[in-house]
Amino acid sequence: MVGTPVLFVAIPLLAAFLIPLFGMIWKESVRILPGIVLAYLLVLAINLMNYVMVNGPIVEVIAGWAPPLGINLIFSPFSGFLVTLMVFLGLIVWIYSYRFKRNVDFEPAKKYFILLMMLITGSVGMVLTGDIFNLFVFIEITSISAYALTAFYTGRNSAEASFKYLMHGSLASAFLLIAIMIIYSQLGTLNMADIGSKMHLMKPAFKISAIILLFTALGIEAEIFPLNGWAPDAYAEAPGPVGAAFAGIVVKAAIYASIRVIYTLFDLSGAYDLLIIIGMITLIIAETAAIRQEKLKRMLAYSSIGQMGLVMVAFGIGTEEGVFAALFLMFNHAIIKSLLFLSGSYLVYNSKDKLIKEVNGIGKFLPITSFLFVLGAFAIVGLPPFAGFWSKLSVLSAAADSNMLLIIALVLIVSIIEIVYYMRVVNRIYFFKKDETVSSQRPTFNALIAMLTLGAIVLIVGFYPDAITGFLHRASADLMDKAGYINDVLTLN
Amino acid sequence: MEDTLFKLLDYGIYGTAVLVILVGLYGALVKRSLLKIVISLSVIDSGINLLLVAIGYLKGGTAPIFSPGYLENPKVMVDPIPQALVLTAIVIGFGVTAVALSLVIRLYRHHHTLHIDEIKNLKW
Repeated sequence: MVGTPVLFVAIPLLAAFLIPLFGMIWKESVRILPGIVLAYLLVLAINLMNYVMVNGPIVEVIAGWAPPLGINLIFSPFSGFLVTLMVFLGLIVWIYSYRFKRNVDFEPAKKYFILLMMLITGSVGMVLTGDIFNLFVFIEITSISAYALTAFYTGRNSAEASFKYLMHGSLASAFLLIAIMIIYSQLGTLNMADIGSKMHLMKPAFKISAIILLFTALGIEAEIFPLNGWAPDAYAEAPGPVGAAFAGIVVKAAIYASIRVIYTLFDLSGAYDLLIIIGMITLIIAETAAIRQEKLKRMLAYSSIGQMGLVMVAFGIGTEEGVFAALFLMFNHAIIKSLLFLSGSYLVYNSKDKLIKEVNGIGKFLPITSFLFVLGAFAIVGLPPFAGFWSKLSVLSAAADSNMLLIIALVLIVSIIEIVYYMRVVNRIYFFKKDETVSSQRPTFNALIAMLTLGAIVLIVGFYPDAITGFLHRASADLMDKAGYINDVLTLN
Repeated sequence: MEDTLFKLLDYGIYGTAVLVILVGLYGALVKRSLLKIVISLSVIDSGINLLLVAIGYLKGGTAPIFSPGYLENPKVMVDPIPQALVLTAIVIGFGVTAVALSLVIRLYRHHHTLHIDEIKNLKW
C-alpha cells in the first residue's frame, strides 16, 4: 500500500488553500499545481484500487476514534471505483481548461482552480465517508463550490442560474440535516454502518419520515425528476468544463450517496419499485424535454438528467446484475457526457446564445472536435461499436432476467427519442450549409488532448468492455454485501 | 407540577423549532424579494439548529465539559454531539448565506431590481 484514503480529501483541500499563496510567488503555478495534485491522486487511486481488489476494503479511522464514535473513510471496490473515475475526470477537466482561459487574467484563473479543487474534495469525500454528518459536510463543500463555479462568467445569466441552484441546494441541505437529526435522535449514532445495523430498532413513523427527507435532499443533488429544476440552467450557464465536471463528478457523488442510503442504511429490499418508477418518470420527462431544446448545452443537460433516471431504474431492478448495469451506465455517462460537454462548448464557442442551429456546417471547420462530438453522440444513444451500447445492453438483460419487460419497452422507446435529438445535431454539423456570420474557434492543444483521451476511452471500452467489467462486477458485489460493509467497519479496533 | 412544567417546556422548544422552520419555508417559497428569500433560508437553518440542540438536552444536565470538581460531584451531562453538529451547521449556513448575498449583489447590478418576477431571462 502506498497511501491512505484520507489523502484524497486532505491533498486537494490543502492544494486549494495553497494555490493563492503559490500564485503570489509564481503566477503559472496556479495552473500547474492542480494538475500535479490530480495526477498524484490518480496514481494513488489506481494503486489503492489494485490493492483493494485483492485484499478487500480499506477502512481508515480518523483521529484515532474507532468507528461507532469517530469518523471513518471507506475505500471499498465500489467507492474506490467511483473515486478513481472522479479523480480521472478531474484531471481531464484540468487538462482541458489549462489554457482554456488563455485570454483570461490571473485572478479568474486562480479562483477557477481553487473552486475546482474544492469541488473534487467535496465529491470524493462524499463517496469515501462512512459518517452521515460528514456526508452532509462534504455535500455542502461540493455545493458551495458548485454555486460559485456556475456563476463564473459575469457576462451571461449565470448569477440567475446559480441563485436558482443555491435555493434548491440549501433546501436540500435543510432536509438532509433534519433527516440526520431524526436518525440520531432515534438511534444515537451517526456512523453509516452502525445505523445500518440498528435500523430495525427504529419506529416506522420516524423511519419513513427520515427516508422521505433523505431521498428528497439527495434527489435534488442527483437531479431526479421533480427536483431537477436547477440542472438545465446550471449546466447551460456554467463554463463548458464545469458542465463536464457536474455531469461526471458532482452528480455521480450524489447518486452514490442516495444509493448508499437506500441499499445500506435503510435496507429497502421490498421498495425498489419506488426507484424504478421515479427513474422511469425522470427518463421520459427529461428525454422529451431535451427534444424541444434550442440551446445545445440545455439539450445536453436534459440528456444528462435522463441518463440519471436510467441509472435509478437500473439500481431499482435490485439484483446484482442491475447494480452492475447501473455502475456501467454511470461510468459511461461520466466519460461520454464529459466528452460531449467539452467538445460541444467548442462548437458554440463564439456564439452568444449557444443555439443548436449555430452549429450548421461546422464539421468542415472543426473536423476533430466535430468528429469527437459525433462519436460521443453515437456512444450515448447506444450504437453498437461504442461504449454506451454495452451499458444499455446490460440494463436490458438485467431487466429481462428479472422479468421486467415493461422496463425494456420503455428504455427502447426512450432510446429512439434520444437518437432523434442527437442525430438532429449531427445532421446540422455535417449536412447543412455554414452560416457565414458565425465564427468558429479552434480548440487549444490541451483541449484536444483532453477530448482525444475521452474519445479513446469510449472506443476502447466499446471494443473491449472486459477492460472494466472486472472492476464493475467486484464493485456491484461490494454494494450488495451489506453485512460485509457493516462488519468491515464495526469490527475495527 | 414541576414535571408538567418541564414537559410543557420540552414541547414548547420542539414546537418553536418546527414553527421557525415552517416560517422559513413559507418565506422562501412565497416571498418575491431576493433578500427576503435569503433571510428565509437562514431562518430555516436557525430552526434546524434549535431542534438539534433541543434533542441533545437532558433535564438538569450540565455542560459537557470535564472540569476538576466533576468526579466528587458527578452530574448528568447533556449530549455534546448535537452541539458539535450545530457549530458545524452554523458555519456552513454562514457560508451559504455569504454566497447567496454575493449572488444577490450580482443580480441587482445586472437587472437593477430585487424582485424575482422581473429576473427571468432563464426559464423559471
